[in-house]
Amino acid sequence: MDKITLILTLITIAIVVVPVVGVTLNYQDNLVGLFITPEINEIVDKFSSGVGGGDGSDGPEVQPIGPPEYDPISRTIKQVIQFENTFPFDITLKSMSGNVQCVEHGFDLGVASLENSISIPVGETKTVTLLITWTEDAISHFGTAHEGEETVEVVLANIGVDISGIQVQLDKNQMGQRMEIPNPAL
Amino acid sequence: MKDLLAKINWFGFAGGVATIIMIVVSMVYPWWQLTVGDNLLTANASPVNTNFRALGSTFSIPFIWALNIVSLLTLLASGVTMIIYSIVPGKSYSKHLLDFGYKKPLFIVLIFVIGLLAATLICKTVLSLSIPLIGSTTSTLSIPFASDVTLTVLLSAGFHWSFLIAVVGAGFCIAARLYHRKVAALPSI
Repeated sequence: MDKITLILTLITIAIVVVPVVGVTLNYQDNLVGLFITPEINEIVDKFSSGVGGGDGSDGPEVQPIGPPEYDPISRTIKQVIQFENTFPFDITLKSMSGNVQCVEHGFDLGVASLENSISIPVGETKTVTLLITWTEDAISHFGTAHEGEETVEVVLANIGVDISGIQVQLDKNQMGQRMEIPNPAL
Repeated sequence: MKDLLAKINWFGFAGGVATIIMIVVSMVYPWWQLTVGDNLLTANASPVNTNFRALGSTFSIPFIWALNIVSLLTLLASGVTMIIYSIVPGKSYSKHLLDFGYKKPLFIVLIFVIGLLAATLICKTVLSLSIPLIGSTTSTLSIPFASDVTLTVLLSAGFHWSFLIAVVGAGFCIAARLYHRKVAALPSI
């Protein structure tokens, strides 16, 4: 019976040693390749260039298009914006939120959110509608601090975007664009 | 025929068959799966097949692939010896076959779970990335060259039914060892 024990022991050793030694010998000129494959490097490169914008800019490109529409009953502004997918993969823009502030006084005027979710293929630009709802205090602010002004300059701050399950939080300066919105108090 | 069937160690037979089924199932269905975001990155892990899917491409890590082959061959040897042993548990060499086969599925399950725990701990320590073993969590990532951008990622992980088959198979093999004395004590036909 020692023979059977010996054979089983040899099988155990062979099962462990042969695959590990075989793969190690296959990568003997590049042992790092045993753990870091070209695919991993490619993904890291794509993410680095994608999140950084690839052109020196940071994050996805967001640009307002045209004048905003205001509905006084719901105190809501609709602003169409362009969203360029600078990520190296197709994305679904599930939600977007942010605080709208008066540029001149730094006053919080309301919150912005996305009307609908939208899928954007890699490298493409699509338009989405941003809804901005003014608070009661904001209406008062427009009436007092901006009395007589036809438009008020506002900026989106603390923008949060849910892209395919990844929450991207952009710094206030990330927006890069300020918006002229009609004064709702007029 | 009735005596022959009575001599079979049915726990061992079930353990051997379950081990073979475990191998086949684990090739397709992972024991444990980690998903980042909405399937942006997926890690499918089982002792016989571990792969990753990111940005549309699927790949495996060569060293892990080698360990998968080790596990596959170990389980295959265990399953085959358990089936042979269970049919002739009273032979003089049967105890050797049992000793060779019954512990391996349990060890593979334990090593897999310990390996997962170690991997998640390493990720937390080295990358400051909290990966759940079961359930969902969010983790914040810092982006090089984009200090003004913060990424918060949803990580979801969990064990699948294929892991349950492995646990059941390992349980049968252990039960076969406990049942061995009873079948081995039966007179030979």
